Amino acid sequence: MKTMNFVISFLKYSLSFVIVLGLWEAYARYGGLNELFLPRPSKIGDKLYNLFFKFEIIEQGTIYWHFFATLAQMSIGFCYGIIIGNTLAIIAAFNETFRRYIAPYAVVFNVTPGIAVLPLIIAWFGFGWESKIALATLVCFFPPFINTLTGLLKKNDEAIELFQTIGATHSQYFWKQQLPNALPEIFAGLKLAITTALLGTIVAQFGSATEGVGILMQRFAFRLDMAGSFASLVTMAIMGLLVFTIAEVLDRRIVFWRDTKGLERVSRKKQRKLSSND
Amino acid sequence: MAATAKKKVKNSSFGQTVIDGKNVTKIFGETVTALEGADFNIRAGEFISLVGPSGCGKSTLLRLVAGLIEKTSGDLTVNNEVVTKPRTDIGMMFQKAVLLDWRTAIENVLLPSEIQHRITQDDKNKAMASLDLVGLKGFEFHFPKQLSGGMQQRVALARLIQTGANIMLMDEPFGALDEFTRERLNIELERIVGELKATTLFVTHNIQEAIFLADRVLVMTPRPGRIAKIIDVDFDRPRDISIQTSRDFNIIVEEVRDTLGGH
Ligand SMILES: Nc1ncnc2c1ncn2[C@@H]1O[C@H](COP(=O)(O)OP(=O)(O)O)[C@@H](O)[C@H]1O
Ligand SMILES: [Mg+2]
Repeated sequence: MKTMNFVISFLKYSLSFVIVLGLWEAYARYGGLNELFLPRPSKIGDKLYNLFFKFEIIEQGTIYWHFFATLAQMSIGFCYGIIIGNTLAIIAAFNETFRRYIAPYAVVFNVTPGIAVLPLIIAWFGFGWESKIALATLVCFFPPFINTLTGLLKKNDEAIELFQTIGATHSQYFWKQQLPNALPEIFAGLKLAITTALLGTIVAQFGSATEGVGILMQRFAFRLDMAGSFASLVTMAIMGLLVFTIAEVLDRRIVFWRDTKGLERVSRKKQRKLSSND
Repeated sequence: MAATAKKKVKNSSFGQTVIDGKNVTKIFGETVTALEGADFNIRAGEFISLVGPSGCGKSTLLRLVAGLIEKTSGDLTVNNEVVTKPRTDIGMMFQKAVLLDWRTAIENVLLPSEIQHRITQDDKNKAMASLDLVGLKGFEFHFPKQLSGGMQQRVALARLIQTGANIMLMDEPFGALDEFTRERLNIELERIVGELKATTLFVTHNIQEAIFLADRVLVMTPRPGRIAKIIDVDFDRPRDISIQTSRDFNIIVEEVRDTLGGH
């Protein structure tokens, strides 16, 4: 029954997708579209086919190389971002003075469009990978910082008293209650960071680069190769979906107690584990 | 009905003093006198109910005994030691169950053991037994969010039993539950505490509940928080819910009401 429902809804989505593409294609063929602005889907499809299966070389690399380079820069920037964001959050959670004096900067920092400092970033880090990683880090550290801080500061007087009465140390309280209790917020921060890191990486590639999907897009657009530009856009969307799905799956696995399905799954698993031990 | 409410020899079955408070006073800040000049003496195995309107210092008294807050003046000892900080022979239960959502019932019950040492098979067996005792056999692997409010409080009670504490402090543990669940839990609590022979301080603002469970009721009045009267309750144990309609029971209810009514 479940798989049946899934198949039906999948068919519905595919059908609506095909209809939209079909109308778009028909309208373009009828001549209603200036294809210098919006190319027809079949041309974008051709371009994607050339890029992915004919290994067309752009700027010394195939699409796979550009894809990989972007993914790598983004991942490194993302890792730095979440390390910095979470470290600051933990320090701020435990140190009131730090929290009081760092918070105003964090807020100002957050309302300053990080993307706008790209020229500075290039001046500091040059034209190589460093500047892409740096911009990704810069634009993505804030969501983990603020979310983790919020999660760790969730008011929980009863839990504190409970842990005191059972003789827990501060570190036991942190590891067994405060940190797991903050996991939903921590993951919300990570999910935001992953998309902003991708944005930062691609924008930095616009500034100057020899590889990356950002540079792909720019080269095509400068040549007025609209099909190519849109093919780059589709590639970016695929990348975004990929990283977001990974984050989503991890979130569901680790913060399983947020929804009934997760609770039931883990509950059953633990029960099975016990009965196989006996 | 009154036949079930036989009197027994007055409180002779209890051991020596476990909790001793003399002139205990707690002032929050400069001005809020939460508890003033409280004298109480609680013996091993006794079940004491604290009853009174909200704000009369019931939680304050409990948290002083638990070592969670410091008294302003007076003397307070537990097992002849001055209370300075929380101690593991005192366990506590709150109005909220305070369970960890990411842990199953049995993992929650095992928490106190885990805080003290590495979990052993003995601990696990004991946790199973505790859950069984509170009527949760078969729910060991359910998560808190899969359990009703009443069942969550049962898990909290099993966790309290798991601590092995022989002094139990309960701050309106069933206060957030509906009338039926509360009544059933009261009956079971009476049975369980009887089996464990623990010394219990039980806070409630429900007069019937207070009397049904207690060997003695401390009646408290507000502004400032004071112990206005201590009333003996001498019904045989285990107690049947029907004693609540007996004459003796209602005489005590009236006595508590009178004490509270004067304030
Ligand atoms: N941490 C605190 N800081 C200041 N005032 C408090 C604090 N805890 C309790 N009080 C005050 O002390 C009085 C007694 O509170 P409490 O012991 O919680 O009463 P009860 O549990 O009987 O409802 C109340 O007036 C309350 O506002
Ligand atoms: Mg209270």
